[in-house]
Amino acid sequence: MKLDSKVPGGPIQEKWDRHRFEMKLVNPANKRKYKILVVGTGLAGASAAATLGGLGYDVHAFFIHDSPRRAHSIAAQGGINAAKNYPNDGDSIWRLFYDTIKGGDYRAREANVYRLAQVANNIIDQCVAQGVPFAREYGGYLDNRSFGGAQVSRTFYARGQTGQQLLLGAYSAMMQQVNAGNVKLYPRREMLDLVIKNGQARGIICRNLVSGEIESHAGHAVALCTGGYGNLYYLSTNAMNSNATAAWRCYKRGAAFANPCFTQIHPTCIPVSGDHQSKLTLMSESLRNDGRVWVPKRADDKRPPNQIPEEDRDYYLERRYPSFGNLVPRDVASRAAKAVCDEGRGVGEAGLSVYLDFRDAIARLGRKAIADKYGNLFDMYLRITDENPYEVPMRIYPAVHYTMGGLWVDYNLMSTIPGLYVLGEANFSDHGANRLGASALMQGLADGYFILPYTIGDYLAGSTFPTATVEDDEFKATRQEVLDQTERMIRNRGNKDPRTFHRELGAIMWDYVGMARNAQGLREAITKIRALREEYWQNLKVPGRPDSFNKYLEYAGRIGDYMELGELVAMDALQREESCGGHFREEYQTEEGEALRNDERFAFAAAWEYKGPNQKPELHREDLTFESVELKQRSYK
Amino acid sequence: MAKNMTVYLKIWRQPGPDQPGRMVDYTLQDVSPDMSFLEMLDVLNTQLIARGDEPVEFDSDCREGICGSCGMVINGIAHGPLKGVATCQLHMRSFDDGATIVIEPWRARSFPVIKDLVVDRSAFDRIIISGGYVTVKTGQAPDAHAIPVPRPDQEKAMDAAACIGCGACVAACPNASAALFTAAKISHLAYLPQGRVEARERALAMVRQMDAEGFGNCSNHGECEAVCPKEISISTIAKMRREYLKAVVLNPE
Amino acid sequence: MPVSCCDLWTTVGKKYLAAAAGLVFLVFVIVHLGGNLLLLLDNPNLYNSYSHHLVSLGPLLWFGEAVLLAFFLLHAVIGTLVYIRAREARPVGYHEIADAGKPSRKTLSSRTMIWSGIVILVFTILHLITFKFGEHYTVVVDGIEMRDFHTLVVEVFQKPGYVVWYLLAMVLLGLHLRHGFWSAFQSLGVNHPRYTPFIYGLGTGLAVLLAFGYIVIPIYVYFKY
Repeated sequence: MKLDSKVPGGPIQEKWDRHRFEMKLVNPANKRKYKILVVGTGLAGASAAATLGGLGYDVHAFFIHDSPRRAHSIAAQGGINAAKNYPNDGDSIWRLFYDTIKGGDYRAREANVYRLAQVANNIIDQCVAQGVPFAREYGGYLDNRSFGGAQVSRTFYARGQTGQQLLLGAYSAMMQQVNAGNVKLYPRREMLDLVIKNGQARGIICRNLVSGEIESHAGHAVALCTGGYGNLYYLSTNAMNSNATAAWRCYKRGAAFANPCFTQIHPTCIPVSGDHQSKLTLMSESLRNDGRVWVPKRADDKRPPNQIPEEDRDYYLERRYPSFGNLVPRDVASRAAKAVCDEGRGVGEAGLSVYLDFRDAIARLGRKAIADKYGNLFDMYLRITDENPYEVPMRIYPAVHYTMGGLWVDYNLMSTIPGLYVLGEANFSDHGANRLGASALMQGLADGYFILPYTIGDYLAGSTFPTATVEDDEFKATRQEVLDQTERMIRNRGNKDPRTFHRELGAIMWDYVGMARNAQGLREAITKIRALREEYWQNLKVPGRPDSFNKYLEYAGRIGDYMELGELVAMDALQREESCGGHFREEYQTEEGEALRNDERFAFAAAWEYKGPNQKPELHREDLTFESVELKQRSYK
Repeated sequence: MAKNMTVYLKIWRQPGPDQPGRMVDYTLQDVSPDMSFLEMLDVLNTQLIARGDEPVEFDSDCREGICGSCGMVINGIAHGPLKGVATCQLHMRSFDDGATIVIEPWRARSFPVIKDLVVDRSAFDRIIISGGYVTVKTGQAPDAHAIPVPRPDQEKAMDAAACIGCGACVAACPNASAALFTAAKISHLAYLPQGRVEARERALAMVRQMDAEGFGNCSNHGECEAVCPKEISISTIAKMRREYLKAVVLNPE
Repeated sequence: MPVSCCDLWTTVGKKYLAAAAGLVFLVFVIVHLGGNLLLLLDNPNLYNSYSHHLVSLGPLLWFGEAVLLAFFLLHAVIGTLVYIRAREARPVGYHEIADAGKPSRKTLSSRTMIWSGIVILVFTILHLITFKFGEHYTVVVDGIEMRDFHTLVVEVFQKPGYVVWYLLAMVLLGLHLRHGFWSAFQSLGVNHPRYTPFIYGLGTGLAVLLAFGYIVIPIYVYFKY
């Protein structure tokens, strides 16, 4: 496998323009003849399907939910970045680019990130035109706020429901194309394999989740928009159905998987309340604008928070990072929380949380002002924990939130399999080792609205396509493999249900491949995951039948893939002997306990190639070159 | 910490769309009041699987009240006894120890049962397909500041746009009407200058589609607003009627 | 997108028609009560003159009656269709139904519109048979021979059974108006955070007042004569 990033030449500001001119075009009359299979209808998938449909391609959109609007993009709260510079506070495309590269700890591809910053402005325009009700000021113009680690206000938002509104915008644009006859929807379908013919991605195999039928669909290209793999950790802020299966099956068909160890732990989640916990709920990062994070100074201080006087409190973020204080980036805030809990100073019953205190903000601004800003978040917290954050400090703890790693793609968003494109969180491209707040929505929509629609045309116009139908041997063989695996899971007469396995795998991942990692722990994790995987295939119990609606069968397949992906994440974390962004190796830190990068050896994207069952995957390096920014140690002091 | 509780469940079980269903009783012990309602069902399912029974199927995804996947009628109220939340945001502390809890799927001809508590809500998607959008292709948009939007209009649009499409409005309506869902989308776009251009066509097309799907006729009970997890007001239904009146009576083409 | 009159027969369009017809009827009910309250003045001649004036309107009256009849039928047909459609829209009901509480407007009144409506329909037919097409007494007032409605009313309201039935129907009329009044505004798209609570309250007040007004008459007549 040879990795060719296909980054165009020229100055970074001109690369995308030049590339757009150099790409081949598909004649408008011919677009209808190209059938594109879009898998997943979150921000990336819905925006891609809408745009490709609008261009006249024959788009077929597949999704696991009953409606495209349910994709987990809908749950993003905070906002979306763009360098509009409406507040006139010094923002620019260059600054957005720079912040994103730096925020990603210099492990992203420069040209991709610059392009992301360039098209971000168009996203805002597009969304407003679709009727996305972004927050506005009294003059009728758009409001901006500062968000997670940025010193300019460049975040557009729609109350605490920005993801919802953006997704509904993309969804409605796609629905318009459904009405126009350009997009066909396939609800409740789970992609279970990729079909390759003559070296090109030509189709997918999916399970109809209602009837259980295994279906084959042929096309000219496949756009995978299936999100990240945060649920690998069992407890995460991802939705119950978020999964890595489609991406993982593509990996096993030859698509390289890049930087799997780059996982993001979000610092402000509601802590775990018990074993029954099925997922974690994120509290918007915006809370850190007014809340102060602290723990007691002494580990044995078990007084209720309001009885702990000022001098016995440790506002550790403000102490360690005086210039950014409570607003340090996510990875820094998360690790700091873990550090104080490791010292035994964590609060709550299990000692696994820290306080986020609004006492001072309420005293300064008044309860009403705080309620106006965060009322719905406070209500949500109260509902979940039965504790009133107006009266007692919130308790928060980090949780897995986003995965920067994903299938490797070139500048055109094409994976190492020709014709297989990967968009949004499912790819690895733009966030490096750490994603900044309000950048995920930006990337998903950039990929779908403004990048894929250009680059896919170049591929379609420049390739030849031998006929491919679902009757071909390639389709039949792949379908048979899927049938066999389903059969194997159902026939297995073990006595452990998928959820129990998931929980056990998650515990290994969180303990050894979580916020802080070390070589010994990672080796141990690999051994444990292999043993658990062994047990999985011996002792799995799946209820019900394959030919009907069966959530636990879907679930079992996804856990089976996590059993393999987990090992790859640990291997990648082991090979990356440095700390960067969301990847923190305890062996590599500064004297103050900050992440210590090793640019000499690790300024590359690690792309793993599948080599067969139980074979060690092969590591390929895409060296990252930085022509436009200077590599620095991130400092938020 | 509150002590764990025992609950007596009566759950609608139906193996498939065309098979008959019935209410089945289950007793679940050692339920933590801090569990969410759906986590309680997860625990029930783990026990059912362990004893070789089929688990209770229900839709659920984000579990934070925004995706609109989950929804069941709990003790006769869509999404259960708590105001302004989806089923996933309900916790067991809302129930008493020893409580009997009746759980049923959304009931409407236009939402046929797929299995147990899972229903097919694609009718909502078809209503959106008929006109719940602004016709704008990618790339056609002017600068975001080209058209200022009065803040009260933006707020009203956002209130309506908060709809999560869960279907509780239909489930709770004595007439099984989809007026609130349809009205929320019509209102959201009608309040914004970007959406006004097509307001007429949208109101006509969406109302026609809503009727074609076989939903009931709204007769202003207002039960929908009371169960809506986003507390969307029936004033949106009045707005839909104003828009429709303009399209059909005041300013027909 | 072209519009046809079918678009007035959608679930939204039907509600305009039902609301408009309902409001027309409300006006009639108010005016009719006003006239009939003359019975409380113990002046048979005044009452008979009033009804004679109405009858003398001739074609104008017939037109008014035709309009009322048309609206009445339209209102009844739509009400029935709404009910049937609701039944069809939920073929399998719930085992348990509870009220969701505020801000729901679901009340006994809103749940029984079809039944209170049917009773009012039956009542209206019987009412017309009893009075308009009932016994034809005559009387001479100021030299003009006219129909003696007063005698007829007194005669009818001496029957306890009829009075009870009349009371029941008027209670149901009030119940119908309790939901019907505000609902008509909502159906026509009139909803405003400031005015809707007032309209809702006014509907309740009107329902009570009208029912009360109509109930007073037979009771008064029954005990007076």
